[in-house]
Amino acid sequence: MLQESRVNVLSVKQISIQKPLTEEWMTNPEIHTESFVRAIDPDFRQFISAGDARRLGKLLKRALATSLSALHEGGITNPDAIITGTGFGSVESTELFLEAMIRDGEQMLKPTWFMQSTHNTASSLIAIHTQSYGYNSTYTQKGLSFECALYDAWLQFGLDRISSALVGGHDEMTPEFAGFMRKAGHLLEGEICSEAAVSALLSTREQEGTKALCTVAGVEILDSPDAETLDHAVRSMIAGNIPDAVMTGMSGNATNDGYYHFLKKSLPEVPLLRYKHLFGVNFSSSAIAFYAAANCLGKGFIPPVLTLTGESVSCSKGILLINAVEGRHYSVILLKPLCGKL
Amino acid sequence: MEEMILKLKQEIIEVLNLEDITPEDIDNDAPLFGEGLGLDSIDALELIVLMEKNYGIKLQDPAKGKEIFKSINVMAEYIQKNRTR
Repeated sequence: MLQESRVNVLSVKQISIQKPLTEEWMTNPEIHTESFVRAIDPDFRQFISAGDARRLGKLLKRALATSLSALHEGGITNPDAIITGTGFGSVESTELFLEAMIRDGEQMLKPTWFMQSTHNTASSLIAIHTQSYGYNSTYTQKGLSFECALYDAWLQFGLDRISSALVGGHDEMTPEFAGFMRKAGHLLEGEICSEAAVSALLSTREQEGTKALCTVAGVEILDSPDAETLDHAVRSMIAGNIPDAVMTGMSGNATNDGYYHFLKKSLPEVPLLRYKHLFGVNFSSSAIAFYAAANCLGKGFIPPVLTLTGESVSCSKGILLINAVEGRHYSVILLKPLCGKL
Repeated sequence: MEEMILKLKQEIIEVLNLEDITPEDIDNDAPLFGEGLGLDSIDALELIVLMEKNYGIKLQDPAKGKEIFKSINVMAEYIQKNRTR
C-alpha cells in the first residue's frame, strides 16, 4: 500500500549546453544554432581528483559532478537510494570499445572502455564515491529513462522504504552517434542534438538549513495512450487545480510539437512552456524539464525564455510536465510549490 | 634501453590516462602499484593489454604481473627479453 508522504525536491543540478551548475540560463541563456552541441563542462577537479577521474568518461564525470553538487546543496551525504535514467549510457566509451573491437579483431580489448560501456556505471560510481550502499538502480527506456527512475523513487517513497533519493538523468552524445540518431528518427529536423546530466535530490524529510525547491505531487507513465486516456491522466493528476503552466517537450519540429496538441483541449487556458530550444534534445531531455520546472517553482517565477509568448509567468500553483516520446510514450509529472494552492 | 624506458613511460601515461604526469615524474625504480604511481588491479589489466598489443607479449599467468610490473626498470627488462615485435 502506497503511503502519501510529501516528496520534497531539495536540489536539482545540471550540466548541459547551458552554463553548468547554475541557473544563469534563466536570465542570460546561451543561444545555439548548430545542429549538434556538446555540453559545457565545469572544472571537474573541484569534484574529483585527476587520479580518480582518469578512467572516467564525460558522462560519468558529469553524473558525479551534478550528484555531488545536488547532495551538497541539499544537505544529505548518503541518500537512501541512487536511481539513474540513461538512454544510452556512456556512448563515447562504447564507441571507443566497438572501434577497438573492429580494429583489433576482437582481441586485446581495453577493460576500462568495456566497464564504462555498461549503462549502470553512473549509479555505481556515485554510490562508491559517496559510500552510499543502499538501493541502487538504473533505467534505460530511451527518452523516458529519467521518468522511469523518478517513478521508481516515487514508489520507494510511497512504500516507505526510503526517505531520500538521488535521481539522475544522464546522456552524452558523439558526432557519429548523433548521425545515427537522426537516421533512426530519434532526432527530427530543426532539433539541436545535445547532451545533459541532471541530478535531483529528493527527500520526505525536512533538511535543517535547506529550503526545498518544490514537491513532487505525482508521476505517471503512459504507454501508447489515446487522446481520451491522456486527457484523463492530466485531469486526474491536477485534480481540478489548474497549474501555472505546462512544461512541454516542444522542439520547434511540427511532428514532435503535434504530440502536445491535446493540451489545447485538456488545459486550454494554461500557458505552455518549452525548454528544448535552450537545452537541445537528448534522451535525458525530460530530466532537464524537471530541473527547469523545479527551479522556476523554487524562484517563484517562470522566465520569459521558457514561455511561448515571451512573457514571464508567476509561479504559485504548480507546473505540470508532459513528455511525449515519438508520440507513443508519455509521462505526466506534477510539481507543486511548497506553499501553494494545489 | 633509455629510449625504450622513455617510450614505455609514454605508453603507460597514454593508456592509463595519467593526466598531469610526465615521463620525468615516474621514478624508474619506484613501485608502480600501491605506493609510487598508485596503480590498481584495473591498471594491471590495461598493462597486460599494452604488453600484448605493443610488444607481442602474451602473459599466460596474470599472477606474474605482480613481479613484472614491480617498477618501470623491471617491466622494461622483461619486455626487452620477451618481446616478439
